[in-house]
Amino acid sequence: MSGGLLPLPVVDAWQLDVHYRRLLRPGELLPARSGEVHRLPRFFYEVRSAFDAVNTQITPHFGLWEFMEVDLYEPEPLRTYPRYVPCAVTALAAALEVLRLEIGAPIRIAANGGYRSPAHGGSASGSPHCWATAANIYRIGNEYVDSEEKIARYGDLASRLLAGCWIRPYGHDVGLADDHLHIDLGYGTIVPRQSTEAPNPRDGCEPRE
Amino acid sequence: MSPDVESRLHELGASLTSGALGVAVYDYLSDRHWSFNGDRWFHAASVMKVAVLAALFDAVDRGSRDGDRRFTLDCRLHVRNRFLSIVDGCPFRVDAGRDGDSDVYAAIGRTLRLRDLATHMIVRSSNLATNLLLDLLTPAGVMATLARLGVDGVAVCRGVEDDRAFEQGINNRVTPNGVVALLRAIVEDKIGSAQASAAMIDILHDQQFTGTIEPGLPDNLRTAARVAHKTGEISTVSHDAGIVFLPGRPPYVAAILVESAGDARERIDAGIAASAAVYASVASAGEGVGR
Repeated sequence: MSGGLLPLPVVDAWQLDVHYRRLLRPGELLPARSGEVHRLPRFFYEVRSAFDAVNTQITPHFGLWEFMEVDLYEPEPLRTYPRYVPCAVTALAAALEVLRLEIGAPIRIAANGGYRSPAHGGSASGSPHCWATAANIYRIGNEYVDSEEKIARYGDLASRLLAGCWIRPYGHDVGLADDHLHIDLGYGTIVPRQSTEAPNPRDGCEPRE
Repeated sequence: MSPDVESRLHELGASLTSGALGVAVYDYLSDRHWSFNGDRWFHAASVMKVAVLAALFDAVDRGSRDGDRRFTLDCRLHVRNRFLSIVDGCPFRVDAGRDGDSDVYAAIGRTLRLRDLATHMIVRSSNLATNLLLDLLTPAGVMATLARLGVDGVAVCRGVEDDRAFEQGINNRVTPNGVVALLRAIVEDKIGSAQASAAMIDILHDQQFTGTIEPGLPDNLRTAARVAHKTGEISTVSHDAGIVFLPGRPPYVAAILVESAGDARERIDAGIAASAAVYASVASAGEGVGR
């Protein structure tokens, strides 16, 4: 399958090899920490090389690579190319672009703080990072966003600009943040045009085993 | 240890202000081990970073064999200055102003290779790199490596600058004999392959802090000597531990641990003098014995 919003192949992850499907868990219901369940994304951009990641610009100020840096807590197959990023990454980049234009300074997304898979060791159950709809911002311009004052200042700005976004409150306990600004858009997915949500376009109903 | 050397070490220890000197030596030429206060526990300071280095290479080696948690030295780790105290789980940060290395701070938010973190941890004694690696390996993992190696006398229980733990007297500790046993495990290829040992020794050899072992060598040998070592400095200790390669003979391993309430100069002078005594001892060992 080709097409989509970015000049990259879009894949229905149900069609991927089983070792990818076990890690990405496309279309599965994932229980969140607070008890509700959300359906994981099924459609992904296929990024075949680091060259593609670096050279795919999503918005004027955000490249795809900025949402892809992960560390060794991501299982090895998902750290090596081809890599897969949920299509909703474009919505996240568009939201951050609004913030970037208002601030007028570069916004830096932390490693593990863009898209990370549900198999990542740092993915708390139900983390919207697994949908590519959340970003952990560690630096804006020359300023590290690592204090209550900075997190509140930039969080307030993001709340005013980005309708419907959620900002993780400042604090030290689980579910709070003290060394970055977490912005997320909730559990959105994007199904590109020409992609079908039929149970399985290849063999009828279920993901292939 | 000859009576002359023992007498000299006693004299140096007695010269310290409310302190103690601990020395352990193993010489591959004579196959002899001796120590002075060899089983006395000292605050480990940054000498504990050798144990983290060994545990990292051990984890890489075990992962390559059993594949259950596989990572290599080229794998990358998120650089984040946020750690949890072992006392109460409260977060703390490492103070860049007290760290011997600033390079790792420049990578906050991004990732660095494990190999590079290990190098920063040893060569510039980066506290941030140490805590990142210790978070990955865990103190229990480091202790498991030491147990596998049969190393007693090195106790790693927490990261660097965990002030809550420090206030409660919970510290990483080492004995001279323990540090020598750990360095011997590295020399004797007990942690993975000979290639892994060579890589660890290369990192230790790139040490940028002078320490006390090398300055204690005779002037004519100092430029020819290759000392792969790790220093440890806090307000009350000045340690140095390393592998001393001299031309024309097998290496010797030495740990010179100095603790005192006096100033750093006092401790460093005592450490240098102890190193000179150690050299005199191994130089008199003769040729053709041991491996």
